[in-house]
Amino acid sequence: MRYGGTTALAGVDLTVGPGERVALVGASGAGKSTLLELANGSVTPTAGSVRVLDADPSARSGRAGRRLRARIGTVHQHLELVGSLRVVHNVNAGRLGTWPAARAAWSLLRPQGVPDVVAALERVGLADRAFERTERLSGGQRQRVAIARLLVQQPDLVLADEPASALDPALADRALALLGDLARDRGGTLVAALHDPGLVLRHCDRVVGLADGRVVLDRPAAGLSPADLADLYEAPA
Amino acid sequence: MTTVLDRPVRPVVARLRRDRRRWAWALGAAAVLLWSLAGAGLFTGDVVNPGGTAQFGRFAAAALSPALDAGFLGLLASSALVTVAYAVLGTALALALGAVGAVLVSRTTWGRRRLGWLLSRGVLAVPRGLHEAVWGLLLVNVLGLDPWVGILAIGIPYGAVTAKVFADLVDEVPRGAHSALLAAGAGRASATLYGLLPPAAGGLLSYSAYRLECAVRSAVVLGMVGAGGLGYQLSLSFASLRWEQVWSCVYALSLLCLAADVAGRAVRRRLAAPPPGPGRDPVLTGAVVVPLLLVAWSWWYLAVSPASLVSARTAEQLAHVLGAAWPPATDGALLGSLGALAVDTVQMSVIAIAVAALGAVLLAGAAARPPGRLSPARRVGGAVVRTVLLLLRAVPPPVWALVLLFVLLPGVLPGALALGVYTLGVLGRLTAEAVEELDPRPRAALAALGARPVGAWLYGVLPGAAGPVLAYALYRWEVAIRDTVLVGLLGAGGLGALLASEIAAFDWAAVTTVLAAIVVLTLLVDLVSDRARSVMR
Repeated sequence: MRYGGTTALAGVDLTVGPGERVALVGASGAGKSTLLELANGSVTPTAGSVRVLDADPSARSGRAGRRLRARIGTVHQHLELVGSLRVVHNVNAGRLGTWPAARAAWSLLRPQGVPDVVAALERVGLADRAFERTERLSGGQRQRVAIARLLVQQPDLVLADEPASALDPALADRALALLGDLARDRGGTLVAALHDPGLVLRHCDRVVGLADGRVVLDRPAAGLSPADLADLYEAPA
Repeated sequence: MTTVLDRPVRPVVARLRRDRRRWAWALGAAAVLLWSLAGAGLFTGDVVNPGGTAQFGRFAAAALSPALDAGFLGLLASSALVTVAYAVLGTALALALGAVGAVLVSRTTWGRRRLGWLLSRGVLAVPRGLHEAVWGLLLVNVLGLDPWVGILAIGIPYGAVTAKVFADLVDEVPRGAHSALLAAGAGRASATLYGLLPPAAGGLLSYSAYRLECAVRSAVVLGMVGAGGLGYQLSLSFASLRWEQVWSCVYALSLLCLAADVAGRAVRRRLAAPPPGPGRDPVLTGAVVVPLLLVAWSWWYLAVSPASLVSARTAEQLAHVLGAAWPPATDGALLGSLGALAVDTVQMSVIAIAVAALGAVLLAGAAARPPGRLSPARRVGGAVVRTVLLLLRAVPPPVWALVLLFVLLPGVLPGALALGVYTLGVLGRLTAEAVEELDPRPRAALAALGARPVGAWLYGVLPGAAGPVLAYALYRWEVAIRDTVLVGLLGAGGLGALLASEIAAFDWAAVTTVLAAIVVLTLLVDLVSDRARSVMR
């Protein structure tokens, strides 16, 4: 994968099976986000191929492409929320892949499926903020809204890019447990880019280390210690 | 297993609370729009004139074959120079008046004396509320046919607006540095010079460039009421039914507006993101030096002489008009028709803004230039939409009214639609810019989770763009009410038509009454639009 003259990922050959919980670790710029963007079809590989849920996420267009994308849920660093919409609409946006356009439009006037939304918000502890404008929420609260969006989307593959960066340690733990549950309840998969070695070891069963766009580590989490991971986070000299 | 995030879950039930005030305003706006459409006869009477379609067809067909003979092109070039010269001198006068006026109306000057500040603002509302063309018609009766008519007609209303904006810009500068200088014993003038003007300079220059762009359009309109230049040429060609020449004028106007747009945008972009490194920025140096040279050239080209401003004849004429204008006429017939025409004027402006806002929202997606690579079809489509928007705003609204009168029966509707398409040209561009400035990531995230394009637009773009678009539309409503008077001056009804006929009859007492009505109406619209915008915030 190349961006102009910069190679972001090269020679990555990675297979993730159903039910796995995989942590991507590595220093900033190692290629974690690019790998996740390849998986959800936001970017197209310049060389090589990507297969997700038995399909190529970037090649499929139109209705089939949308149906595939609706099965992939992504948590970015809470940047994907629309500040001027109420929380309920931002959570409901998770269903835009399955809702017809007319229902999506009507929901902006009269929120649809509110019980599901409130149930999802309850699991992230924000049930009382459902009708507030999203821009009034703090960074950590917005990150939890992004997780609630995934809860109503019910994806088979959960991709998470630093999903806990704005949360305090206790909340971060619960957020990851929630994402793991979400994937596991449906027999699906979690792939998360994480910075905190503690979180990696507690919530994932496989660790993939990236450095300079290459896979340098791929081992079960069980045999690893925080010290092993610390090396990976160091920026290359 | 169900994991619950966050510590004790508070048993609070969230309830959807709609903002009552917003709903009240929205319903009120819908009611006013319906009332306006009913007033325009859309639901009851005939509005279409089927007999004019052939003429309209000939007019539209001429777009592809504009007059390009050397004689006419030479005429066009010299007319364009006249228009530019008026625009430059008018802006120069406006900036000079604005700089002096800003001192008189800024909060910094008045401090805690709120009454004085309010009064000074109120005084500005009178010159601001009258359209440039109205000033032109009034001044021509005092000065006769003199270049000063065009210059003053632009300079006086623009000067009032500029004074208000300059004062706001200076007042918005954070006070820290200024208070520190005052505390250190600096005088008020030098504290302003060192603490307030440098941070405000960028905004002041940027706004001045924007005023010059507007002045080009105003100079064209003044040409239509007799000051010469492109507008004059346009109305001559129109009156003699030479559609090929009309289109040549339209294209020349578009080029002029495009040049003003591009230059203004370059200056604003440089001010927003100055290039690194020491030394002067050539673009900004040019933005100061070139206009100064242009002012000197325009002065020479129009052969302006200060003598005609202070001649005995001017003083005599001014005294005569002012004497006849006071007291204002208050007879019942005049007041009655004034009320009916004020209603027409309001309805015209409401329909115009509704047409423009709706069109702007629908076209915003196509007109905006999103980042990243685009398909060729999308790029061509975008360029076409942007060109059409440029044509719409380059042609003055009275010309649109005349064109629409081919196919519509006279009344409120042609004027309203003419103003509507012109305002669409302005609003469409502002809306496209607002869409370009939106954060693209929420929309990309929605596309990644499988939303269809309509859904991604509804959830990712509309919520962010709706606020600025409505605010622009409300702001343009104030402008539209003034432009309605202009369309009326050239025959489309409303208060403008009444004003034109009273001026033609030299009934100065009645003119005073009509002018007062226009100013009051503008003030009311200003007030309502200001309230509506504060509710939206």
